[in-house]
Order: sequence, then structure tokens, then C-alpha cells
Amino acid sequence: MKRMSDTTPMAGGASQNWLTLAAMIFVGALALVSLYMGFRAYGDEEIETAFMYLLVGASGFIAIGYSFFRAKPTTKEALEPKKSDVITTLECPQCNLKRVRSFQRGDYIFKRDEPCGRCEGQMVITAIHTRKEEKK
Amino acid sequence: MLGQLAQPENEIQVILQTLFSFAFIIYLFYAQRIQSMTMLRQIEVTLRKIKGLRDDGKEASIKTIKEIGKPERDPAPMVERFMEHFMIEPVGLDPAGVVQKLGKILDVREFTFEKEVAAMAPNATPPERNNIENLLEASLALNVFYKVIRHYYLLGKKTMNIYIIMQIHMILPMIIQQIEAYSSALQAFQEGMPIGDSVGAIVAAKLINGAPTRDVAKEMVAAEIEYEGRHVVVTKAKGPGGSVGMPGDAVVNLLNEYKGRVTMLITVDAAGMLEGEQVGEIAEGVGAAIGGPGVEKYKMELISTEHNVPLYAVAIKQGIEHVVAPLVQPLFEATDKAVASVKGLILDYSKVGDTIVVAGIGNTVGVAQ
Repeated sequence: MKRMSDTTPMAGGASQNWLTLAAMIFVGALALVSLYMGFRAYGDEEIETAFMYLLVGASGFIAIGYSFFRAKPTTKEALEPKKSDVITTLECPQCNLKRVRSFQRGDYIFKRDEPCGRCEGQMVITAIHTRKEEKK
Repeated sequence: MLGQLAQPENEIQVILQTLFSFAFIIYLFYAQRIQSMTMLRQIEVTLRKIKGLRDDGKEASIKTIKEIGKPERDPAPMVERFMEHFMIEPVGLDPAGVVQKLGKILDVREFTFEKEVAAMAPNATPPERNNIENLLEASLALNVFYKVIRHYYLLGKKTMNIYIIMQIHMILPMIIQQIEAYSSALQAFQEGMPIGDSVGAIVAAKLINGAPTRDVAKEMVAAEIEYEGRHVVVTKAKGPGGSVGMPGDAVVNLLNEYKGRVTMLITVDAAGMLEGEQVGEIAEGVGAAIGGPGVEKYKMELISTEHNVPLYAVAIKQGIEHVVAPLVQPLFEATDKAVASVKGLILDYSKVGDTIVVAGIGNTVGVAQ
């Protein structure tokens, strides 16, 4: 039985890319020729013809730019599992000594963790959160 | 090329006119197809990334089970089977009793998951099993997202129907947001870190502040404290393993236990924020602040109506990307504000000698009591 993870939906993706690129090159070449013709017509003082060619040439380049914009993936960043930098804050209820360290597996809020370095008390985990404030 | 272009203009003009006319005709007939192909390509790129995340979730689950559960046999086939698990919701044609039916199905689901995890990770402690269960559920969710998007992608590609393709293309940004959230959950549940949804449990734990607790319902504890002459009963899911418990059952049991003496029920939970709102904003309102399928909320509403207990709610605002991701600093800081808010509600809406129930709703992963 074929497993789901073996099913790749990517068939045809590469050929589609080449097709788009070929179409863009074709439109680009046409636009370039149009612009050239437009400037030549302008030099010959055929204003109406020049306007038409320049318009077509500019439209061609706008179309290419738009295609690039549309072809961008929907996600700006690569979708990767985010790893947050998480810190654990420990406090001694007796002498109020505060210590911050990286999160370790097994930490949880209100856990009586390690002995206090200053007095004979037991440090308690009072906070666990990511290190930096997230920017929206 | 320039030399050729210097030929008599008429020939070049004719060629260009023909080419443009040809391009126009092609666009006239194939515009929709070109648009479909562009959208399909965008979906395809996203789908490839989602597949990567789904695989990462599966690998993370297997790795964690091997590290914590120390199973004798390879857990990979069991994890793969778990990721295909589904739940059929009860029929709603006859709505009477549908909540009870849904509750029963959810209980069976919970029982099945617990059994599956116990078999996969026999040497894990109960809190660790809860975390593994949550991790597997996140992996399962990623798998469902991947399969649904792949379905629409392949269906769209097969039929080249722009309306099928558009459906998935339009909601892709929102889906990606949810997928990223579940992907962040992998780290949290692997390590047993508090998540955004834990804020309700943290608020309850801060109110309990080391007072002795007792079990009041499945995976639910309660503690009794005194505040400004009021008797406050605080309940939350039993931590520090990842569990939301049965807060509805806990409230029902507490309200029945105090036989009409409870004058106020306050629920504290994480709430979705609207764009423009700040992470960690606190809002007060009325009603039962509790998410999920609705079964626990139903129980709370029903029992509070029976005992004529007013429902107050404190919401801690957060984005969808925070709910299952490791707890961010503004949300942790917001729990102090929420504690103050709960105390303010108690002072404003109760009198000395009253009994008040406070329920901290949410996943208690990484939060003891």
C-alpha cells in the first residue's frame, strides 16, 4: 500500500516554471522591439504610431513585472518549525535571590528546583517564557 | 537585430501586429487557465513546505517517544497510525442531546489517545504521557492540514477548475497561520514548556499560591483560599503535564458541593485577539470564557443557570500564533494583570463571606499548582 508521505504532488512543477520563463522572455523581446519601434517612429515625427508602440512596449514590461509579483510564493518566509529561545526564572522564597537560565526539559512553573546558592532555601521556578519580546 | 529592424517599416509592423493579435487572442481564450496555473503554482510551493512541517512533526514525535518513553519496539508505525486518527461528530439532525453525544465521543477519543500513548511510551510518567499526547495531536493536525490542501491542489490540477483552485488559494494565508502555530507547538510539547493557552492555568496557579489542592474532576484540581473575607475556590487542570482537564465537570462538582452557596463564577482563559489589539491585553466580560468543542462550556452554563450563579470572564488576548507556541514574555506578564483583574471582579461583585469559584481554563503544560 502506498503511504501518504510517498505521494508527492509536485509533478509538472518544473515544466510549468520553464513555460512561464519562456513566455516572459517572449513578451520581453516583443516589448523591447516595440519600444525600439516607438522611439524610431518618434524620431520620424510619427507621434501617433510612436505612442502606440511605446504603450505596447511599456505594457509588456509591466506584464513581466506583474508576473514576477504573482509568481512569488504565498508565504514570505520558509515554513520551518520555529525554535524559540525559552528561559526559566528561579527565585528563592527565603532570600529573594533571582536567577535566570535557559529552559531545561523537566522545568515547570512552581517547581521546587535547585538549592539556593546564597541561603539554605530551595529555589522555585517562577517564570518560563521566551527570551525576547515578539514583534508584531 | 538592429540591422533587420532598419528594414522597411511595413514588414516589421505587420509581423508585430500579427504577434500582438495572436497574443491577444491566446489571452482571450486562455486567461483563466493562465490564472489557474499561477494559483496552482503558489499552492504547490506552499504544499511542499507544509509537507516538510508535517514530516518534522512526525519525526519530532517519534524522537520524543524514543527519548522519554523508551519503548522496546519502534514507535514509528504506531505514530503513523495515530496521525491518521479521525473523529466522527454526532449527527445534528435531532439537536436534543447532541452535546452529551459529542461529550461521549470526546471521552472515547481521550481514552483511546491515552491508551495509544501508554502503549507507545510505556516508561513515560503521566505528565510526560500528557505532553506526548499533545505532541501527537499537533502532528495529527499538521497531517490533516497537509492532506486537505493536497486534496484541493490535486483536484484543481486534475479538473483545472478555477473555482476549486480559488477556494484553497483564497484561504491559504489563514491556513498557513494555523500551520505555523501547530509547528511552534512541537517544541513546546516536546520539552513540556508552557504555551500561550497556559495563561488561564498560570493565573489559577498564582491565585492558589501553594495552597493545598485536591482532585475535583478528571485531571482537575481545586484549592481553597481566603481573599478579603471571601472564600475563593480556585480550580485548574492538574499540571505540569499537558492537559486541559475537564473544567466543566470541576465546576459542576464544586457548585453541587457548595449547594447554592457560590455567588460568583469567574473563568479566566486565553482569547483570540483582533488585528490591532496588543498581545496580553486583558478584557473583562460576562459568560463562560472557555473554548474547545463546547461540551465543557455547556456544562458550566447549565450548572450556573441551575444554581443561579452569575458568570464572569477574564480574557487574555493573544494571536493564533501564540496559542500553542512557547509562552511569550508579554503573555506571562499579562497573567499578573489577569490576577489583579480577577481580584478586582471579586471585590466589585461580591461581598464579605461569599463563596466564589475561579476556573483557570487552558492547557497546563509546564505549569504546576
